[in-house]
Amino acid sequence: MKALTAEDMAAYLAARFPDWRNIRIDGLHRLPLGASRETYRFDLSYEDMNGAHSDKLILRRDPPVSNVDSDRNHEYSSYRAIHGHGIAVPRMILLEEDPGPMGGAISIAEDLRGFHNSEYQLQEPAWRDKLPHIAEQMWGTMGRLAAVPVEDLDLDFMVPATPETTAMQELDFWEATLDKNDVGPEPITRAAIRWLRRNPPPPAQKLAMVHGDFRAGNFLYDDDGNLIAVLDWEMAHRGDPLEDLAWSLARVFSFGKDDRRSGIAPRADAIRIWEAASGLTADPEALHWWELLNCVKGQGIWNSCAHAWTTTSGEREVIHAYAAWWLRNAQDRAILELMGHL
Amino acid sequence: MKPSIPAAASDFAARLRSEIVPELTGFRANNVAMGSAMIDMIAEEFDRAAARLFEENEAVRALLQRDAALVDGVAAPDAPAKPDLRVSVLQAENDLLRSALIDLQTALETRNDGDASALDDDIWRELAQSVERRRIASANF
Repeated sequence: MKALTAEDMAAYLAARFPDWRNIRIDGLHRLPLGASRETYRFDLSYEDMNGAHSDKLILRRDPPVSNVDSDRNHEYSSYRAIHGHGIAVPRMILLEEDPGPMGGAISIAEDLRGFHNSEYQLQEPAWRDKLPHIAEQMWGTMGRLAAVPVEDLDLDFMVPATPETTAMQELDFWEATLDKNDVGPEPITRAAIRWLRRNPPPPAQKLAMVHGDFRAGNFLYDDDGNLIAVLDWEMAHRGDPLEDLAWSLARVFSFGKDDRRSGIAPRADAIRIWEAASGLTADPEALHWWELLNCVKGQGIWNSCAHAWTTTSGEREVIHAYAAWWLRNAQDRAILELMGHL
Repeated sequence: MKPSIPAAASDFAARLRSEIVPELTGFRANNVAMGSAMIDMIAEEFDRAAARLFEENEAVRALLQRDAALVDGVAAPDAPAKPDLRVSVLQAENDLLRSALIDLQTALETRNDGDASALDDDIWRELAQSVERRRIASANF
């Protein structure tokens, strides 16, 4: 894949914004964020008719092969849709869907620097006393996202869904993802899919904008554990808000290797905080269905990682092989636990 | 090979973490850290891979052979005439067996009798054992 350079970046911006002069790109470097997209940080300075400007920016680029079936427009539009509706997110600045100029579609956003996003840092002793506050911040924000009236959001770019259809729609999507990225027979995951089809959940209490990957590691927090912004909206969709809650409770994201979910709080605390913030009820049977669905989704993503590694050459990302090795069996164990077979 | 591959690989992974990762930053540091974790997984898997696949293939084949009188159309793949313990060969056999196991379990779920239920229970027990055989020390769960 074409290397991203400051020179190419400056040339692209000069062509896109003819009134900009003295464009300068400094400190362009790739960040270790996520398995699905390339993320870069840089400083931009330029002059226009209003004077001199200086911005700290984040660039995300679509790779030729990804473990997540999404694109720049989808994530960019998702950020823009939720911005201004009570959920803190970085401001989106630019979308370029033509892969030509920069070697892949790109989006550029404001860079909120000086904060943390590491899920592993939260496991260090210095953060232990702050975890209850971080839990309130994380699941409180997730609950408020669930409460945002979906009718108020511009989600026309997303696949339509209804409270009655969203569950099977998601199951169909992730089963198709597994089929498309087959890396060998998965008896445990396939048994889970059959169970999910035999035992459909009740309709969603409401339709919401579902983040799709809301967990520790995908939000910025400050030194006091205050949530600054929610990141990584590339899997956002219309759906049942229980899906986000269930994803955040996943065993594979228990980074403390104990009963704390997302490595932050016990399951019951997370549910209590989410219910209070959302005004919704986490019906245990419905939540169980979504937790199992999210195991299928997880396995779909981890298998896509393995599949991306086996079907590309020269473009391989270490994280794809690492994630597949590290997560696939843990995901199977989580399925067995949820189905009462562990 | 001497020293043993697991011992040498684990030592190498530890050196990467302690000596190389601190010299790097950002994306490159993260790649090397993940690489060292993968070497640890290789060290863990190297000694057990053939044994766990052999054990699992035997167990799944036995389950599939038990079904012969119960379910039509799902047969255990033939055992290799000459045992070949290369991991790639065992893995290929494992894929065939686990694929047949999916078909068997799907068929059993349509039935409502004691024999089918007992076999299904035994399949779940084997699947639970299979995840324990494959478990990685660094996994979150």
